[in-house]
Amino acid sequence: MIENARSLNIVASLILLVGMVYILGPLYLTLATATQSYEFLLRNGLAWYPGDQFFNNVARIFTETRIPIQMFNSLAVAFSLAIATCILSFLSAYAIVYFRIRWAGVAFALILATIMLPVDIRVITTYQVASNVFSPVNALLDVSGLNGLIAGIFGAPVQLELSVLNTHFGLIAPLAAHGTGTFLFRQFFRTLPGDLFKAARMDGAGPIRFMVDILLPLSRTSFAALFVLTFLSGWTQYLWPLVASSTPDMQTAVVGLARLLPDSEGEVPDFPMIMAGAVIVSLVPLLMIALLQRYLVQGLVLSEK
Amino acid sequence: MTSESTLFSNRWLPVLLVAPFMLLIVLFFYVPIFQAFYWSFFLEQPFGGGSMFVGLDNFARVLSDREFWQAGWRTIVFMVTASSLAVLIPLILAVAADRRIRLSLPARNVLVWPKGVAGASIGVVFAFVFNPFVGILAPLNKAFPGIWAPGIDGTDAFITLIAAHVWGGIPFNFVILLAGLQSIPRTMHQAAAMDGAGPWRRIFDVQLPLIMPQLFLTLVLEFTESVTSAFALIDTITHGGPGGATTLLVYKIYKDGFSGYDLSGASTQTAILMVFVILLTAAQFVFLGRRINYER
Repeated sequence: MIENARSLNIVASLILLVGMVYILGPLYLTLATATQSYEFLLRNGLAWYPGDQFFNNVARIFTETRIPIQMFNSLAVAFSLAIATCILSFLSAYAIVYFRIRWAGVAFALILATIMLPVDIRVITTYQVASNVFSPVNALLDVSGLNGLIAGIFGAPVQLELSVLNTHFGLIAPLAAHGTGTFLFRQFFRTLPGDLFKAARMDGAGPIRFMVDILLPLSRTSFAALFVLTFLSGWTQYLWPLVASSTPDMQTAVVGLARLLPDSEGEVPDFPMIMAGAVIVSLVPLLMIALLQRYLVQGLVLSEK
Repeated sequence: MTSESTLFSNRWLPVLLVAPFMLLIVLFFYVPIFQAFYWSFFLEQPFGGGSMFVGLDNFARVLSDREFWQAGWRTIVFMVTASSLAVLIPLILAVAADRRIRLSLPARNVLVWPKGVAGASIGVVFAFVFNPFVGILAPLNKAFPGIWAPGIDGTDAFITLIAAHVWGGIPFNFVILLAGLQSIPRTMHQAAAMDGAGPWRRIFDVQLPLIMPQLFLTLVLEFTESVTSAFALIDTITHGGPGGATTLLVYKIYKDGFSGYDLSGASTQTAILMVFVILLTAAQFVFLGRRINYER
């Protein structure tokens, strides 16, 4: 530091300390409560110190709720979402940056616009589309008059129907329609030196070869950053999995956890068990953050530039 | 940078590369958005009972509904208070962490943890922590009965929502702002100090102006975020209550559409909300974005 301002450093330390207590406090109370019994909670209120009922509460989560199978759903959704986002974003960013195409700007703008209106805003109509993914095709056939023609010849108009609701695909697809990854890869490609491209061309590398042998290995950190970012976002989604899944066995763990809270006021809910559920549900993403923090921070910073 | 003459000139390969992603985006982003606007001009029956063109009737109905205006007003109040706090608090923390004191490293680690806790999980936890009977404020309630009652008092419920929202918003904003602060060269601080600027003065005259791009970005993203991500918190902590005091537009749209089966009304409100978000983002870019100097 420039001047040796002890008092300032103390103030800064205090601020950071308060910030850490704000973050860790609720987490600690969650953990402490998860180790107490329901009777303890009713008697003493909030648990400031851990008890010995943790495994009991966890066992009840595993036997009395659907959280175990919902954890599997969360894992499947978050993992496939992250993989799909990585692949689709990489391919589209590659096409936009490295090909001489007139529509590159338009395509990029169309992709980027998805960042502005997240799925939570357009949930009503996204749900309708997911309930029949062919509805746009049907509408096109109707509007263009083709369906009238078909009805005249074959006796009935074409009405295709396929619902992706309550499937893993349906849980993932609307979340994958998001442009952050393409943006991230485009920014990264543009930082690469142009000579790289020229040298590869001179050595006779075609587009596929250039992508697989040169771009792919160079993008390893970007992939890791995007993967961590989308995995966490997939795991923590709430509104879309809530409406897109109609049976408890298809819900994600976060939705299942929220369903443990009773809808009506009145009796004090079984908070120790619910908190044990919160611990279990948050364990995977928190572990991921602990292990891959470098990539997460990189991803957050990269997605900004 | 690659110049124009040194790009691949294949015609169909780039189409093939972009097509899968484009298809996904058109189907699950542009079609729903188009449909929201389309439906706002039709009276739609639930369960495919057919539809009828009604012109601006839906808008007239929604705009004359008192509940809509209340929900809209609450959305704006939440947006302004929650998102300014969700930027201000990480900013203070980032300035403190940038002093490179002993606590900086553990703080940088801990402050990104909320990124792994889902909005709904935060909601479940905060619903417990701020529970008036067993929560952290229960002792206060024993001393002064009724001072903390989020189940009855709308303001208390609102405060709980904001506290939970800020908690979840810290990681992203903190990381972005700290990265901005750390990219300021040390020599700048030294030069300013040599000219007699104290630490406070340097915060306002050196650090803040230089991280304007980051501040701008976090604010823009935070505004949209606060409009949308509040849903998980509301659905777990307050259920829109008490007496509708925490029913923001996202929650009202969900209730109208999925519980009330009022598809036209929900679509119309969705359309209005989308226009609002787009205008807000555009306005921020026009009024704030222009004044920011991105050059260092």
